[in-house]
Amino acid sequence: MQSLEPLTILIAEDCAADRMLLSHIVRRQGHEVLTAAHGADAVDTFRQQRPHLVLMDAMMPVMDGFEAARQIKLLAGETLVPIIFLTSLSESEALARCLEAGGDDFLAKPYNPVILAAKIKAMDRLRRLQATVLQQRDLIARHHEYLLNEQRVAKAVFDKVAHSGCLSAPNIRYLQSPYALFNGDLLLAAFNPAGDMHVLLGDFTGHGLPAAVGAMPLAEVFYGMTAKGYGLPETLREMNAKLKRILPVDMFCCATLLCLSFQRRSVEVWNGGMPDGYLHAIATGERKPLTSRHLPLGVLSPQTFDDRTEVFPMAVGDRVFLLSDGVIDTCDGDEQLFGVERLRQVFVANRQPDTLLEEIEQALRDFGGDARDDVSMVEVSLLEAAQLSPPALVYSDSGQSCPLDWSASFEFRAATLKRFNPLPYLLQLLLEVHGLRAQSGALYSVLSELYSNALEHGVLGLDSSLKRDASGFARYYLQRNERLDALQDGYVRVHLQVTPEGKGGCLTVRVEDSGKGFDVARALERPLDGVRLSGRGVSLVRQLGRNASWSDEGRSARVEFFWEALA
Amino acid sequence: MTVTAELSRDGKQLTISVKGRFDFAKHLEFRKSYERKDGKMPKSVVVDLKDATYLDSSALGMLLLLRDHSGGDRSDIRVVNSSSDVRKILAISNFDKLFDIS
Amino acid sequence: MADIHLDPDVLSALREVMEDEYPDLLETFLRDSEERLSDLRKAKDASRFMNAAHSFKGSSSNMGAVRLAKLCHELEQCAKERKMADIEKLLEKIDSEFAIIRPLYEAERQRSLSG
Repeated sequence: MQSLEPLTILIAEDCAADRMLLSHIVRRQGHEVLTAAHGADAVDTFRQQRPHLVLMDAMMPVMDGFEAARQIKLLAGETLVPIIFLTSLSESEALARCLEAGGDDFLAKPYNPVILAAKIKAMDRLRRLQATVLQQRDLIARHHEYLLNEQRVAKAVFDKVAHSGCLSAPNIRYLQSPYALFNGDLLLAAFNPAGDMHVLLGDFTGHGLPAAVGAMPLAEVFYGMTAKGYGLPETLREMNAKLKRILPVDMFCCATLLCLSFQRRSVEVWNGGMPDGYLHAIATGERKPLTSRHLPLGVLSPQTFDDRTEVFPMAVGDRVFLLSDGVIDTCDGDEQLFGVERLRQVFVANRQPDTLLEEIEQALRDFGGDARDDVSMVEVSLLEAAQLSPPALVYSDSGQSCPLDWSASFEFRAATLKRFNPLPYLLQLLLEVHGLRAQSGALYSVLSELYSNALEHGVLGLDSSLKRDASGFARYYLQRNERLDALQDGYVRVHLQVTPEGKGGCLTVRVEDSGKGFDVARALERPLDGVRLSGRGVSLVRQLGRNASWSDEGRSARVEFFWEALA
Repeated sequence: MTVTAELSRDGKQLTISVKGRFDFAKHLEFRKSYERKDGKMPKSVVVDLKDATYLDSSALGMLLLLRDHSGGDRSDIRVVNSSSDVRKILAISNFDKLFDIS
Repeated sequence: MADIHLDPDVLSALREVMEDEYPDLLETFLRDSEERLSDLRKAKDASRFMNAAHSFKGSSSNMGAVRLAKLCHELEQCAKERKMADIEKLLEKIDSEFAIIRPLYEAERQRSLSG
């Protein structure tokens, strides 16, 4: 009966006749035989020859079978070397000793060759199974190493893409595992030219490289558009369209996007599929949930995508807190979730706003859950505009071919006003003039302010006094969207004129709208540094630009920017 | 832990039932339940989650695949008998804007 | 009913397994057994008796010496229970049993060499 490969079998048996009989039986079954007459001999032979299987007499002089078995098992290590005890012991206690000593089976005397063959076959199967397990374990370990290396490379590339972010700004605090990216968690932050801060906390479906790979095109759109001065809606539309185009149908990215404006003391929010964020008002202690109102990015076609944002007022010191669902979904040993309730308890117990993130981390640890790689938290505070210094834009051209004496006029009518934000283009145009580059922040802020005033108060006829409190704020933005959707007539005209002046130059900006105008005299009477939520626009224009003036009953605004000769 | 599909007698409605955890492990089964050799899809699809205990983002992805296969914006897919936990997950991702959920 | 001295079924199974080496096996067993008998006679303490009897029991059962195996088993038990008086009696019985089966094995060996 030879249905296995030949094995090398060690027979340790002190009785010569038995040894002879057994050797013969085993050889007849096609195997190679090694023999030993006592325990120590068996261990030595095993150490030198490494047989596949051992038949061991339990009672032997010098070293008995049990001790020899223990030593052989130690020598074998991870590899399974089955040991079959040869015994005429019949009491169950003796059998227990066999198993305790590491024996895998036993064969009773008198020897039955058929039973012996069956046991050898069964033990060999186990032996080969163990060998396969070890082999696969090593293979898996090697593959795991490759995977980790791939992730390291991907992360290095991604860090280059994300480097232009401003996560190290003084008003941002965050907690994220370095490999959170490979669980789909993405955290981006960047300043726009006006000094507003855009923040994105995202969560891609999937794990590993597939989750991380969508993050790179998304980050490029986010950074590119934010740097050019695009607002949240346009940036959202582009990110959604890009992901919809490049990702497979079943992949998408849940995300919360924020635009914090230090100038306007407000935060604009879009949440598609992420857990509630929280807007913490320091004065009242109230934490307003910022709930998901949209489908995640990459699901809807550009035609059906909803880019409507919500806007809330913020006072200096107020914070917005965002978290990924890894926090809520952390499980303890009994598969209980950490949940929103426990998070709320941490909020309630929190006394020092600055330690909130650490307190949540501690609460997660105390909860006893396994630390997860997809726990991401970020907290953004509204500081005084002066406390932040956005990095200067870097330009790559030489300045030899820059336009110094020109003018351009634009008229944006109803259909355009509804869907198009001209500011990034206007800014790009103006930044061709090198002398203006140092003032790009002020330029963008003033242009934004004049344009939004012209559009909202002028064309749409919105009343800025609505924005004096939080609920009025919400109503204001609701009305804005409604009226913009329904807009049929109206225009905003922008005139730009650049002329040389001495060694430098002057930019004159005029913005006109088709609205009813406003009481200019009264607006100009207000002191320059008001802290109220509304009416800051006029102050801002007057502070950042020169010679600001309004005419045509407020329908036309004019402001100038000057620059000296460049070094 | 299975996915079963039943076509109505008039062939116009397909009911897919998901039992147990609706997660990535069910990916292949779920797709097989609606992909037919002739490529045709019934007019409407009902996904019955009465015995589904849990839903994760890969399940959401599978629903999107089903929707895409059934004509995208022109599809008629209803997700019925969702437990409150499942409902919550579908609500956060606003999937009720794409699917009729009850 | 008395047990048989040599189980013929065991012997024929052994003959079938060992083939040409059957005579060698018988010879090895007889030589081995002499040694074991001397071990038994030299034994002084209970544990030595136990081990020696146990081993002899094993090999004799393998070789089909049924009665001998049984006697060894009894000796093993006595040693375990420290019935030293009974041990003497059993040793004598074992000696005589071996005296009986030895010529039987030798005859068997002769037969297998010529047959």
